[in-house]
Amino acid sequence: MDDVKAKLVECFQIVFPDLKEKDIPAASQDTVADWDSVAAITLVNVIEEQFGIEMDLDQIAELDSFEKVRAYLEQRQQPA
Amino acid sequence: MKITEALRIVQATVADAPPFRVTLACGFTPLHLHTFLNAHLQLALPARAVHVKEGLYGDLCGTLEHITDSDGLVVVIEWPDLDARLDYRNSGAWGRDVMASVVEHASMALGRIKTALARVSSGIPVALALPSLPLVPIFSTPGWMTSEAELLLNGALLQFAGELAHDGRVRVVSRERLAQESPWEARFDLKSDLKAGLPYSIQHADAMAALLAKTLVPAAPKKGVISDLDDTMWKGIVGDEGPENVKWDLHGDAQMHGLYQKLLGSLSDSGTLVAIASKNDPAVVAKTFERPDMIVRSEQVFPIEVSWNAKSGAVKSILEIWNIAADSVVFVDDSPMELAEVGSQHPGIECMLFPKDDPVACLQMLRRLRDLCGKDKVSSDDLLRLASIRQGAAFRQQAEGGSAPESFLQQAQASITFDFSAAGEPRTLELVNKTNQFNLNGRRWAEADWHKEADSDKSLIITASYEDKFGPLGTIAVAKANFQGERVLVDTWVMSCRAFSRRVEHQTLRLLFDCAGVDEIEFAFQPTAKNGPTRDFFASLLGEAPGAEFSLKKSQFDERCPALYHEVRELKKAEAHG
Repeated sequence: MDDVKAKLVECFQIVFPDLKEKDIPAASQDTVADWDSVAAITLVNVIEEQFGIEMDLDQIAELDSFEKVRAYLEQRQQPA
Repeated sequence: MKITEALRIVQATVADAPPFRVTLACGFTPLHLHTFLNAHLQLALPARAVHVKEGLYGDLCGTLEHITDSDGLVVVIEWPDLDARLDYRNSGAWGRDVMASVVEHASMALGRIKTALARVSSGIPVALALPSLPLVPIFSTPGWMTSEAELLLNGALLQFAGELAHDGRVRVVSRERLAQESPWEARFDLKSDLKAGLPYSIQHADAMAALLAKTLVPAAPKKGVISDLDDTMWKGIVGDEGPENVKWDLHGDAQMHGLYQKLLGSLSDSGTLVAIASKNDPAVVAKTFERPDMIVRSEQVFPIEVSWNAKSGAVKSILEIWNIAADSVVFVDDSPMELAEVGSQHPGIECMLFPKDDPVACLQMLRRLRDLCGKDKVSSDDLLRLASIRQGAAFRQQAEGGSAPESFLQQAQASITFDFSAAGEPRTLELVNKTNQFNLNGRRWAEADWHKEADSDKSLIITASYEDKFGPLGTIAVAKANFQGERVLVDTWVMSCRAFSRRVEHQTLRLLFDCAGVDEIEFAFQPTAKNGPTRDFFASLLGEAPGAEFSLKKSQFDERCPALYHEVRELKKAEAHG
């Protein structure tokens, strides 16, 4: 598992403790009942802390699945 | 604390631990505040499972009016709770004519909050935070000049908080401390407020939650301060310079010593014990305490242990006279070496350096000392504590001074007052929750649970206060019995160690048999690491030490109870407390 994915799985475990680790990569707002607008903000804040970055609240609505968040983070890590 | 850490603390809660349910009443979405509050309370209450429940969004008063099943209430007021026109998210009209209406409306809202708080059950502790975010910048004066409306709003707010603090029902978070912990410019997250209704920045939510948790569940204050004298209580070495030449005032460039004396005096007046441990000549020290400008008065300090021996020995004597453990005490000295010597001999004692040459560090030390010893309420027993310690010392001195214990007890002119309606007094629960040596089973009670028991018609809670010719000891014992048909079970019984050797426990037991009107009482005894004196007391009645719950027959008690010389007074519900 690459670094981004492993750290992101950890973030999901912190915010959604009832979610099984094997189900996290496929997680989305449609499949995780606890993933409401409040949990989405918490998730963003935890990701900010774990990855040492700042995220824009405007992007929260678009980042509605594990894969989308992972793609976003990998894009952020690429050199400009 | 970070959110990640807070969430981990919350998730690590032991699920089957006794719950501690807290209602968080505020008008905004308290997302991070909720998480941090839960985490800070969980750290303060590791044996409980803390559950924080939010109230209704935008309806602070509505939440307060429907509090149920809570062990604690946290109220966080922000300006929009007082008038929606003070909300950054509100798009209503504004103008000079509106301001008077806003002030009037805010005063009414504060009145409604006060009324709602008065209706909350008296057994539920309440922590309150006043508005911590900036007012909307739409007043007509320039920003460096406070407008009349802003002053009136703040005035109404302070009056409201002052009245609540006066009533003693509500503990108010210090705005000054919050300003230290959470800088003004980093508190408000406007973007988050506009987009998601989350006005608190993460750092501010953490700082606010930490103070709210400390306010709702205060740590037990230290019971005593032991202080050095030279270059601590005053500037100078009194043995070299003489009693008339040591200083503690501005003129003598010694003002921080004077402030230290003021704080010690204030703590002593609130029931914190203050003693002296000094390497000095006792006669010289006594003469210095006679100076009329001395701020700490000699009657506020006991004992004064002055000799040329090691300070750890003086501290040992003081702890024995106070009858408290080292971890309940702060030791203050200007010498790191003395602090280390005392610390090594008394593990757990809080050693604090008096930084005599650094006023800023000294101020920090005074603040820390206040934090460690300060208490939210001062009870009548707090005010009696020092006199009671002096009384105990005189009692012991005379008892050991040649008089036979029996004749000594006979001549002590002791009286015990049993009060049947003091269960709700703060001192009662405080005594139950801090007493170790004479304690039936070591059980600690949550405030709300205790008040439920006090309200139950199946429970009888009795407190005992003691006085003899040496002076009063104040409230020194609490016993709680449950009545289940013919069965009487004493499940809580504590007595302050200050009251040992006076046969108060025998008189209490006699009263319990009389009140219950039964031939046998059950005791929910459990041995603990510290309740040996309780076990020994029961062993003297049973003929052997109990190892668990047991029953005692009245005939057994009557046969082995020694002579009791107290005058006994009983305050029934009708006559108690005026």
